[in-house]
Amino acid sequence: MFKHFQKGNAIKSLIFFALIFYFGKVFDPYNQGQLSVVLIYFIGILSITLLTGLSGQISLGQGALMAVGGYTCALVVLNLGLSYWQSIIISAVVSLIAGWLLGITAARLSGPYLAGTTLVIALAIPSLATRFESVFGGDVGLSVDFGNPPEWLSGAIGEIGYEQWQLFAILPFATIALFLALNIFKSRTGRSWRAVRDHEIAASLTGINVQRVKIFTFVVASGFAGLAGAMYGLRGIVGPSVYPVSLSLALLTGAILGGLRSIAGAFFGAALVVFLPDLIDKITGGWELAPQVGDYLPAMVSGILLILTVVLNPAGIAGALHHHKPRHK
Amino acid sequence: MEQFLSAVFAGTASGSIYALVALGLVLVWRGAGVINFAQMGQAMFSTYVASTMIINGYSYWIAFFVALAVGTALGTAVDLLVMRPLSGKRSSAMLASPAMRGTVPVIASLGILGILQAAAGMIWAAEERGFPAPVNTLGLTIGGTVMPFTAFDLFVIGIVLVTLIITTIFFQKTGMGLAMRASALNPEVARLSGIRTSSVRTLSWAISGAASSLAGLLVTPNTNLSPNTLDLILIIGFTATVIGGLDSLPGGVLGGFILGLVISFVNVYSSPSDIFLAILALLLIVLLVRPQGILGSKEARRV
Amino acid sequence: MLKIENLVAEYGAIRALDGVSFTAAEGKITTVIGANGAGKSTLLRTISGLERAKSGQMIWADKSLIGKAPESIVRSGIAHVPEGHAVISQLTVAENIEMGSLFRRRHFRSDVKLAIEEVYELFPRLAERSKQLAGTLSGGERQMLAISRALVSRPKLLLLDEPSLGLAPLVVEQIIQTVNDLCRKSGLTVLLVEQNANTALAVADYGVLLSLGKVVANLPAAELKADASLRAAYLGY
Repeated sequence: MFKHFQKGNAIKSLIFFALIFYFGKVFDPYNQGQLSVVLIYFIGILSITLLTGLSGQISLGQGALMAVGGYTCALVVLNLGLSYWQSIIISAVVSLIAGWLLGITAARLSGPYLAGTTLVIALAIPSLATRFESVFGGDVGLSVDFGNPPEWLSGAIGEIGYEQWQLFAILPFATIALFLALNIFKSRTGRSWRAVRDHEIAASLTGINVQRVKIFTFVVASGFAGLAGAMYGLRGIVGPSVYPVSLSLALLTGAILGGLRSIAGAFFGAALVVFLPDLIDKITGGWELAPQVGDYLPAMVSGILLILTVVLNPAGIAGALHHHKPRHK
Repeated sequence: MEQFLSAVFAGTASGSIYALVALGLVLVWRGAGVINFAQMGQAMFSTYVASTMIINGYSYWIAFFVALAVGTALGTAVDLLVMRPLSGKRSSAMLASPAMRGTVPVIASLGILGILQAAAGMIWAAEERGFPAPVNTLGLTIGGTVMPFTAFDLFVIGIVLVTLIITTIFFQKTGMGLAMRASALNPEVARLSGIRTSSVRTLSWAISGAASSLAGLLVTPNTNLSPNTLDLILIIGFTATVIGGLDSLPGGVLGGFILGLVISFVNVYSSPSDIFLAILALLLIVLLVRPQGILGSKEARRV
Repeated sequence: MLKIENLVAEYGAIRALDGVSFTAAEGKITTVIGANGAGKSTLLRTISGLERAKSGQMIWADKSLIGKAPESIVRSGIAHVPEGHAVISQLTVAENIEMGSLFRRRHFRSDVKLAIEEVYELFPRLAERSKQLAGTLSGGERQMLAISRALVSRPKLLLLDEPSLGLAPLVVEQIIQTVNDLCRKSGLTVLLVEQNANTALAVADYGVLLSLGKVVANLPAAELKADASLRAAYLGY
């Protein structure tokens, strides 16, 4: 039933699971929390890796799709009383539908048009929350969380802290997302996305329905974004301030820095974006910088890294690491 | 009635500022094939320079012209330091496909925006500050009746009209303007005619930088100034260019005025929180009904 | 004199020019003929700097043209009229002509005026339509406009790519005659690429026959015209 590459991908995903689980055991609570964010960003960046890296469409609005996932999840938890993992799955499905609607519009656009339109969407969606305050909770938002760890789990591995439980709740979903992305990369579907990215006309001549592929890419990418958004909200609050435009831009930055065309790159990018402020803090700790300089240093550094990457090393960290290996185009 | 008139005047005044922003965007789009998302970041930076000068006792007008010079310099620097090295890499795998060729400069411009905002935050701290207008921003009183517009509204409309007229004369009547139009329309024939298209491209960035820094100076008396305040203006300007037609200068200007009026009416008759939704609705309608924009040409859209 | 030596140019994976050598004599018309895909257009595009030469040499007025940009090459006196009546249709006729002279305006203002008057004399129909958009012109008028745009740069060498393409025989005749007159009267050197070999050889002094990127014959035009076996083998008639 499994194709040969799927076995390999399953093994890779399990190794990923085991490694993160191990880090989750040894890290302190702060870094457990940071690692949760890395996993969520990883899923969010995967949506950009698939959309932009694989099929050549840009979106500056993935944060808005995360918001769709987050609000769906919160509304399901609060109104229907379902468990967090049921709500997460429902959120991902609702995001698929939102992605389909967005994709129908987006498939007609390209390059800068698409960038601008998705940016406007990223700005407009959170303002829906204040427009329909009674449903979405206005500027404050809705509070939700992962609940308490089930007893069988704490029974199996000992006492679980709050941050640790968040991490362990997110990890299975991140692993599934990784497995799906790996398979899409190697499958015929992925090849047709690449064909559309590299040469639309040639792709249509080989019988690929370009419009349908573009819409489908948006649908799949939105599923990933919605999944990430649901879990991002379950960390405590779903509100406009949780999904600002800067979230969309941070995801894009992570995708580019890590390597837009690589799944490993998506993870490197997520880790870099999340840990960069801590790293800079550590380096500049003894420098006695003015507080405003320290506050803006991470943004400055990631802006500079973004431009250097685009100009000098477009394949990102993953590309630099895989330099002499034969690479997937 | 009075409410209606004041909405019209406020909309025309802010619309003329959006027209300037759109002008800057269209210039760089036509000249270099890039949508510059850093444009209002550049404007924010040059307005901060002006603000600092005014705080330190310089006159408004000296600060005004220094800000225009800084805007011009920033536009030039963006092209020379980032966009030109980037376009030299057209052969790299990342830029090989047409889809990515439109996308990568957008990403670079977002990086520039990030750097400018961070720099402004570091230099001037993040708290909002006001920016002065050279004339009164309260309702103008003529013969005892309060008019539905302010002296500053008139000032803005006047200065933008003058700018638009100068720009039109420059493009239609001068050799340099002809060189810019030719390079935008057909770079190959332009180069064969001896036009140095890469210098022309840099000039587009420079003029665009000046136009947007002017927009920054004119809009901040109403919006205040912080590293992020002008992001919204960029979004509005972008929507204006799409509505008017991304490759058409008059189209961008028209789009700016349309958007100014629409936003002003939403503001007066509905609520400010609906502005984003109104912009999004307008954008989607135009993209679905007339994707090339009101005055844009059809073949120019799918780039 | 333009001297081409062992010129190689690639178009993607295809070797479009495979070691081309010939000279274009001063004040003469040299025509490059050959079937579709022989590399004729690539040859002109490489000379004018639009395409990069892979190897080989191009000497014009004792200087190498290798590695120079089109906007520099036009300044050295080489004007290229590319295939397909290359004018900018959204600009007026007058603007298209003016465009070709922009780079000379600063130093030769009065001569630029003169050059523009001259092309209007050469093609009176353009003078009548100077305010019209180039896009509204007929095919023949567009070709005249493209040539005018090149002429106002005061070239010493004119590269003409398929001026007859898609035009009525009478118009072709007129355009070719005008070019011939220019060459004979003012000593302009012309490199004329044509698929229509008969038209080109009728006015040319020398003929270069290209096939698959290689020169297969380089003869005085009359001899090339008379060689029935070459014609049969490479031009198909």
